[in-house]
Amino acid sequence: MADESAAGVVVPPDEALSRVVAIVGVGHTDYAADYAASRSGDPGHEAPDDDSLCLAAFEAALADSGLTRDDVDGLSLSNMYGGADLEATAARLGIEPTYAVRTGGLMAGLIPAATVALAEGRCDTLALVYSAASRSIGRVFGGASHTNMGRHSYSYYHPWGWSSQAAHWAMMFDHYEREYGATEADLAHVAITVREHAGRNPHAIMRAPLTVDDYLASRYIVAPMHLFDMCLVNDGGVCVILRRADMTADLPHPPVLVAGWGSDRIHHSKMHFMVRERLRPQLQEAAAQTFAMSGLDLGDVGHFQAYDASTIHLVNQLEGTGFVAPGEGLEFAKAGEMRLGGSLPTNTSGGLLSEAYMHGWNHVVEAVRQLRHEAGDRQVAGVGASLYSLATTDEAFPVLFTRPEV
Amino acid sequence: MAERRPDRPLGPGHDEFWGWCAAGELRLQRCSVCGHLSWPAVADACERCDSTELTWERMSGLGTVVSACTFARDYFRDTFPIPWDTILVELDEGALLISDPVGFTRDDIGPAMRVAVTFIECEDSAGPFRLPVFAPA
Repeated sequence: MADESAAGVVVPPDEALSRVVAIVGVGHTDYAADYAASRSGDPGHEAPDDDSLCLAAFEAALADSGLTRDDVDGLSLSNMYGGADLEATAARLGIEPTYAVRTGGLMAGLIPAATVALAEGRCDTLALVYSAASRSIGRVFGGASHTNMGRHSYSYYHPWGWSSQAAHWAMMFDHYEREYGATEADLAHVAITVREHAGRNPHAIMRAPLTVDDYLASRYIVAPMHLFDMCLVNDGGVCVILRRADMTADLPHPPVLVAGWGSDRIHHSKMHFMVRERLRPQLQEAAAQTFAMSGLDLGDVGHFQAYDASTIHLVNQLEGTGFVAPGEGLEFAKAGEMRLGGSLPTNTSGGLLSEAYMHGWNHVVEAVRQLRHEAGDRQVAGVGASLYSLATTDEAFPVLFTRPEV
Repeated sequence: MAERRPDRPLGPGHDEFWGWCAAGELRLQRCSVCGHLSWPAVADACERCDSTELTWERMSGLGTVVSACTFARDYFRDTFPIPWDTILVELDEGALLISDPVGFTRDDIGPAMRVAVTFIECEDSAGPFRLPVFAPA
């Protein structure tokens, strides 16, 4: 459930910046343990805050990278809901960055912006750090507490009783059903597939297998969207460490290169582009930019990590990016093409729906693990290029990651 | 009796829209340069081409239901009876409006269902107002 207040950072694609920066470290908090603790009602449970989440994620990523604190001279901080300032965070992390920025939170345009900073020599090694204590702060995702968010926001429609991110997905899927004759039982296969992947990920919050019957029996949030169509709400932190690609030779893992990116947004007629087009023009434009920058094309992509704030939005990105034709996404899911072993393994760690709601950050971590070929029993065999797609209800921000030989 | 509703967005553009609703007219801002209808209302410039040549054009009030959804979750705490239906209507002039169905439910919506605007008496913290909703045409 992307918050519209957190818009992405627009960085124009530039072929000269392709493959000059690599992800060298990833780390995150223990989503499943924190979720279990927060749900246990244990009076001894101390809810994590932004500071503790950032530190835990940073330490995990640093250990993964094989670097030391002294190596990290850049910081890009994304606290979703509050948190300490840059100076205090740097001190807590134990680093002295020469380049430090604070960003919105969503993993949208942050890696391109970091690539520019590294390419311009503002720093050599940059830690992108994110936290969101969504569950502990009791974050709600609609209703009267969200007012005056502007004419593009759901808050505009409150007099008619229309509110929440869930309502966007519901309007999209109701239209999809009418347009293509699809059913809720068809959409269930998207949730089931992503859950199946989460079952192979020890870090995922929701790992129990899901059936069509379970799905159909689950309560509606905003019909036609069921509970299992919606992403989780949990606390967590993620850190991604980027470094100049020419400084990665001695590191323990193969570098994961930032090969290309793009972005586009809805400028007007939001309901038309969101409900009827399901952002296809924006997704097409952003993908075209990404492939032009990287020198690759759709057929080179062996793994897809897309922002599954809801099941239908994962379908929107599959179709809109061009992997399947509009209206064919649910058949693609039913045929097993999104599964491990299918033609396009998608959201292989369980995504926002079943792994953790980390505003797209956990998708990047999984892309890195897949491209390092260290994803264990959910590894996509021989994968060389992974497309990450962050699309909100307004914007599209894909990034293409590759192995060095691709 | 007026129905209590969550607060309307007010301000430049929006105030004019609600003023026309009070007069029983559904009017949207038409751009004289590119012909686009901006909705939701804009303060002073076309959402498509940025021109400030806008006129408040009266709509036919007729349209087609494009999509709908039903709130099972009560986001507004007892303001609306749950389940609560909302619809997306494409006016014959082309703009897409989120609104409420009157005299029908989401289950009644067939292919290309035709609807017509009507206004209901409401109030929010800024006072009474008339809300455009849609009934079967």
